[in-house]
Amino acid sequence: MMASVLALSACSGGSSGGGSTSGAGGEAPVKGGTVEVLQTSDFSYLDPTRGWDGGVNSFYRLVYRTLVAKAPNDAADPNAMVPDLAESLGQASEDGLTWTYKIKQGVKFDTGAPITSKDVKFGISRSWDPEIGIGSPYMKQLIDAPDDYEGPYKSGDLETIETPDDQTIVFHLKAPFPEFDAALSQPSATPFPEGTGEGDEFINDIVASGPYDLEKFTPGSLVQLKRNAEWDESTDEIRKAYPDAWKFTIGVDGATIDERLIAQQGSDINTMTSAPTLQTATIARVQTPQLQERLIKNPSTCLTYMGMNTTKAPLDDVKVRQAIEFAVNKSSVLNATGGTQFATMASTIIPSTVSGHTGFDLYPSADGSGDVEKAKALLAEAGQADGFELTLDIRATPAMQRQGEAVQESLARVGIDVKLNVIDTSTYYETIGTTSQQNDMAITGWCPDWNSSASTFIPPLFDGRNIYDKGNSNLAQLNDEAVNKAIDAAKAETDVEAANAAWGALDEQIMQLAPIVPLNVENRLYLPGENVGGVITPSGDIDYTIIGLKDPSKS
Amino acid sequence: MTRFVVNRVAGMLLVLFLVCLFTYMVFFLLSPDPAVQICGKNCTPERIDQIRENLGLTDPFLTQFWNFLSGLFAGRTYGGGIECAAPCLGYSFQTSQLVTDMIVQRLPVTAVVAIGAAVLWLLMGVIGGLLSAVQEGKFADKFIAGLTLGGMSVPNYVLALALQYVFVVWLQVLPFSQAVPFADDPVQWFLNFILPWSVLAIGYAASYTRLTRANVIDTLNENFVRTAKAKGLRPDLVWRRHALRPALTPIVTIAGMDFAGLLGGALITETVFGINGVGKLAADSITKNDQPVIMGVTLLAAFFVVVGNMVVDLLYSVIDPRVKAGAPA
Repeated sequence: MMASVLALSACSGGSSGGGSTSGAGGEAPVKGGTVEVLQTSDFSYLDPTRGWDGGVNSFYRLVYRTLVAKAPNDAADPNAMVPDLAESLGQASEDGLTWTYKIKQGVKFDTGAPITSKDVKFGISRSWDPEIGIGSPYMKQLIDAPDDYEGPYKSGDLETIETPDDQTIVFHLKAPFPEFDAALSQPSATPFPEGTGEGDEFINDIVASGPYDLEKFTPGSLVQLKRNAEWDESTDEIRKAYPDAWKFTIGVDGATIDERLIAQQGSDINTMTSAPTLQTATIARVQTPQLQERLIKNPSTCLTYMGMNTTKAPLDDVKVRQAIEFAVNKSSVLNATGGTQFATMASTIIPSTVSGHTGFDLYPSADGSGDVEKAKALLAEAGQADGFELTLDIRATPAMQRQGEAVQESLARVGIDVKLNVIDTSTYYETIGTTSQQNDMAITGWCPDWNSSASTFIPPLFDGRNIYDKGNSNLAQLNDEAVNKAIDAAKAETDVEAANAAWGALDEQIMQLAPIVPLNVENRLYLPGENVGGVITPSGDIDYTIIGLKDPSKS
Repeated sequence: MTRFVVNRVAGMLLVLFLVCLFTYMVFFLLSPDPAVQICGKNCTPERIDQIRENLGLTDPFLTQFWNFLSGLFAGRTYGGGIECAAPCLGYSFQTSQLVTDMIVQRLPVTAVVAIGAAVLWLLMGVIGGLLSAVQEGKFADKFIAGLTLGGMSVPNYVLALALQYVFVVWLQVLPFSQAVPFADDPVQWFLNFILPWSVLAIGYAASYTRLTRANVIDTLNENFVRTAKAKGLRPDLVWRRHALRPALTPIVTIAGMDFAGLLGGALITETVFGINGVGKLAADSITKNDQPVIMGVTLLAAFFVVVGNMVVDLLYSVIDPRVKAGAPA
């Protein structure tokens, strides 16, 4: 969970083909063999109630199943929520407070025991344990429970989830939540056999429900998976589970990973990486036709943006903020990020990879280099023609600092003097998330918790009722009554399409108030080994469940 | 002798206590709020308060420090019933693992790195130094001097990447390192360590060569060596009995301390070669700001250096009987 706050670096996910440069990675894999994945760092947690970040979420799909899951990356709508352990998506009651699911027959844990409604309930109730429930918070936020409930090990059975028989499970929500299906796709909704997983039991071992089970685990070094013999292919329409085994090698230096993926020595043709992007130095080297054929590049779901603190003068004046929207040279910010290979310029809050995105640009300029004249005119209207000073909070990484300098130069063109306040990487998010410590502006990022709608994108960043003293995500501190109302309306919409239309409209409504400057959406670049197929990443994240070897006899 | 050991142990404990206190203060006063870090995305103030309560972060500094110290000797229990047996170095809330376990798991690898490197650099350093001394002023001496200058001036991380590029990517005489336990594939296991050993050894060997050379030349100019030669002792006996022993004694001292330091982890080398040792653990924990782990590794490194120093002092009196342990200087 730690990683998901580090939005820019955290949405590491997977590999994917599809998109603009889909090459060999998209070719069809077949059953058998071992795929090796090289990573610089360890998975946060094997326990899905604890872990919650792009990298580990992709991994969980190999070993765990949930009632509902995201459609595979090669589906017509890869963002859609589809039934996994459940026979169908949930049936909501008239008032939207009660959700009922039927569990498929023949689904089993690796122990051979059938997965029943009681196991689903037990797994979900682990979210309330104060030590264990540190991952995705949605179960606790949405499902009704006694105030003093602290998980199954301390407080016993969670009576608010009903299990009338082994196949049926009934959830009672605190308030209507039309996207409850999406919430149940979160790792913290993973089922576990009743009584398992107490304390640190799932730190080094797991109970698998997916096609693979843990074979070997050496923290900081190796995670090896073997087939779970109890997984029945006929019950699973999402996972193809091509390879016989997976080997995640941890702790490999980033430059070494790139070197191995380029060099393709020996069994490295069966290798890929989960790292979200290639090293900057590697980009220049992958321009050869052979490597371009293997390179897979798609925009992620993560927006890099500059928040403007609407409580501080003169940023409390919407004209001043709009002037800044026009003044920022997004093209030079993009170059500072690493150029067009690394990111794609953005003009909207919702990235193109997230459902609900609509294409518009309220503050257009040639090549995204900024419209200085319009910006100056707006500043004059606001009575700020003489210019002023602003402080921009910047995370102490080279790319972020270059981005800050690009903004500084942009705004100097309209007489705004930007002071860069460089903050240590370890304290950055804490500082800008503490309202008393944040300055005028800050560059940061956001990734949604699911891509099927913008409900985890817009509300945390722009709902005026979500402004906290600490751990604040609404950096603009925007508290606009019309926006708040529109958020409530979009959240209450039970039809997915209508809800997404509402989020799209809200995106434009918010951008008129100019609380943030959308800068760019990071790309995810992958260079899978020559023999690795099925690397399809429509939204930048890896879907291991459709990846495999094209020819398992090669190694 | 007993008094000497008692004094040294007392001094050692004092140093370790100060290291503890200092690192604890640094982390307590300067580091970001771990509760906020753990809370992550979609965080609410209530959740931060709850985490802080669970971590015992609401206690005053001295209470927290005392809990940490007593945990070292008597073990402790964290909120949520996590048992941490003595010596309890703390609990990593980011990985939900005991710091002691995390370190113990990685210590053998670091020990292999340190032992192999030490053997290599002692061999290279002593042989190179002796050759230089014998050939003083001649080509071999100058050549070795040039090499040591190079060895000392190239930073570890450059050398590591350069060697990896030459031997693994270009010449392909060594494979990329693979995570294999010794029992599964001893050959690959051994190959994994060749480059890290070499990188560390080259850095250290340079200074050992110079030291050996200087010591041997000094010793050869001593009166007792001249006397030995003058009385007609065979040259090889002059070397073995009279010259080498005093010349190499200081080498043992420094080797002991360098080795002890390496046991605390070789951060750069382990990171570049993806060796899952204590140094890599420290490097990873620093980027993640996992304070309990950083503190644990710091303490361990301090412990090794202090103990290493003491062992060297004791050994010294064995190697060189003129040095009486505890005798006034």
